[in-house]
Amino acid sequence: MGYVKWAIILIFWAFVGSVLHYALPHHDTVRIVNTYEERQELNDWTRIFWAVPDDQSATLINRDVQFIQAVRANGRPIVYRNEDTGWGWPFYFKFDTANLYTEAADKVSSKDNPEWVSVMHYGWRNEFLSIFPNAISVKAVDGPDYSPIPWFNILFLTAFFALVWAIYVRWRRFRQRRIDPMIEDVEDSLYAAGDAIEERRGRLRRWLDSWKSK
Amino acid sequence: MIALFRLLLVLLVLQTIAYVGLSLYSRSVRKGKLEAHWEKKDAMKGDKQAFVERGLQRYDQSFRRKLILGVYIVPWVAIVALIYIRNYM
Repeated sequence: MGYVKWAIILIFWAFVGSVLHYALPHHDTVRIVNTYEERQELNDWTRIFWAVPDDQSATLINRDVQFIQAVRANGRPIVYRNEDTGWGWPFYFKFDTANLYTEAADKVSSKDNPEWVSVMHYGWRNEFLSIFPNAISVKAVDGPDYSPIPWFNILFLTAFFALVWAIYVRWRRFRQRRIDPMIEDVEDSLYAAGDAIEERRGRLRRWLDSWKSK
Repeated sequence: MIALFRLLLVLLVLQTIAYVGLSLYSRSVRKGKLEAHWEKKDAMKGDKQAFVERGLQRYDQSFRRKLILGVYIVPWVAIVALIYIRNYM
């Protein structure tokens, strides 16, 4: 039974970890190749990986989405989408989608004259589900080996786990001081009742056993 | 605009829950400290209950308690800062 408890705890933290990995910002050093806009059909469950614009009607299942095509330093392609996050989750408060589109188009460069940029994004790229990370900002950098230290992520995760730990420790202390003694009292009274029943049964059982041939 | 109001409402509810929870927790920590202080000091005479009640009354009027209202202010400052950094820099 202990395995079940550990399995549930593990699954819970794996889920929390994946949500954090999806929503926290990452930086990619890429060369922007092109930008385009395409109509997307968002009528299945992968809708959760696309933004919900503030002014979109609830029943609309397709809309135009802007994309930014880029190539990494090792030559592999990566495509970002460019959508508003608005006032909702994840809380980037990105309203300047059109501006970002313009900036990205401005930074388009060719292979023989590359202009390397650092794209800050969140989300996952999955070819099977056709989901794209959402580009938040684009910044010009010196070369393809620009690799910044993720300060915000470090601070955020430290604060987050410190908070979780603080609450967990206080919950345990509260449980030990208030709830456990109460449960022990209840258990004691249950045991006492069990013993009393046992005693009564014991006499009848012994009389019955006296009839069995031993 | 309606999404903004939705965010406002959800945030308000969460902030109120956090404010009430933090106030209760902070008050109980203060109570524990008062009781521990009374028991530690040999020079304490008189009723422990009265001492703790007086201490709690003083705490209720203190600045520290008003600081917990920061739970309402800090997220909004952070949101405004984020919007400025994200969209205008």
